[in-house]
Amino acid sequence: MQQTEDTWATLLKAANAGDGQSYAQFLHAVTPVVRGIVRARGRSLPPDQHEDIVQDVLLGLHLKRHTWAQDHPVRPWVYAIARYKVVDAYRKRGAAIHLPIEDFSESLPALADADPLTARDDAREVARLIGHLDPRSAEIVRAVELREESQASVGARLQMTPANLRVTLHRAIKRLSAVGRKDDE
Amino acid sequence: MITDDLIARLAVEPPKPALRPALMALVIGAAIVGPVALFLGVLGVRPDLALAWFNPVVPFKTLLPLLTCSLSALLLVRLSRPEARLGLAPAAYLVPGLAALALWIGAFLLRQPAGRFAEVGVKSLAECLGGILLLSIVPALVALRVLRQGASTNPALSAALAGFTAASGAATGYSLFCTRDNPLFFVTWYGAAILIGTLITAWAGRRVLSW
Repeated sequence: MQQTEDTWATLLKAANAGDGQSYAQFLHAVTPVVRGIVRARGRSLPPDQHEDIVQDVLLGLHLKRHTWAQDHPVRPWVYAIARYKVVDAYRKRGAAIHLPIEDFSESLPALADADPLTARDDAREVARLIGHLDPRSAEIVRAVELREESQASVGARLQMTPANLRVTLHRAIKRLSAVGRKDDE
Repeated sequence: MITDDLIARLAVEPPKPALRPALMALVIGAAIVGPVALFLGVLGVRPDLALAWFNPVVPFKTLLPLLTCSLSALLLVRLSRPEARLGLAPAAYLVPGLAALALWIGAFLLRQPAGRFAEVGVKSLAECLGGILLLSIVPALVALRVLRQGASTNPALSAALAGFTAASGAATGYSLFCTRDNPLFFVTWYGAAILIGTLITAWAGRRVLSW
């Protein structure tokens, strides 16, 4: 324990004085510990999101590295930031979003219009409908539904996890149906 | 992105200067004093200030908000480090809190019913609440701005404390102008103004201080 404390403190002290190499060593040294915290606290989040949260924590440490006082112990500082970012990740993602959607594909209500885009061949009409979505969702719909790219490649391009992509797509399609229905009324 | 790549990318960024809590407190203090000095410079302190302070109740009008302001500023700055915990420190608010309560109850018992709330009117309330809230705007904004450099792990509490510091600082300055010395008036309405300033800043500042 004491040894970790001393090593981390030495590295971060050097890092905050401008030594990039020590900084990289510090971040590498804390990463396994952060990973452990995320794994312990993030049980209800799917494992494929754990590394995203680990990176969130590392970014948090980075953005706030000047808030560590050199005469204070460094471990409580690291833990406080990790805890804050993990809680934040939970709040942002919300446990519900993370239930893998394929588990529910049977029970999800069938969309009234199975594919809101098929009924509308007119390209302008489709573009108008998609215009109701936020840019990210719009891009996903265009790529997956219109250009028929694979979800994996779209996910890789937009740096989204597969689960996140599926959920975003599902919501976008639902939203499009709603907009389409409103138009039809 | 692979975590190792992220680390490599972060490691080349230059460090920011270390957090200086004392300087933060100083800047917030200056942001309180500035508008108050301008306000008193234009409208002047109450003409009978020295005389009024012979009444033992009147100094409390200035000293109680000054005490809460200083206390809040200390807690605020302390919370700017992520690992900070307030512990029992907020119990110190009991001192100004109980003193204000005692003043209020004492004044209520000592005054004739007709004289208790005689000063309450649209003009006096607008002047008191409006004056204090107006004087709070700059310090509240500056405090939030300054606190963004820190890393509070309780942004809502930090934002509330920023509002509390700003509004009680403003009330301290305003008390040198205000001529209403009935504790039933100033405890109630200074308190209300400070509460409003705190709530607004907490609500608006919560997101500002998230990171």
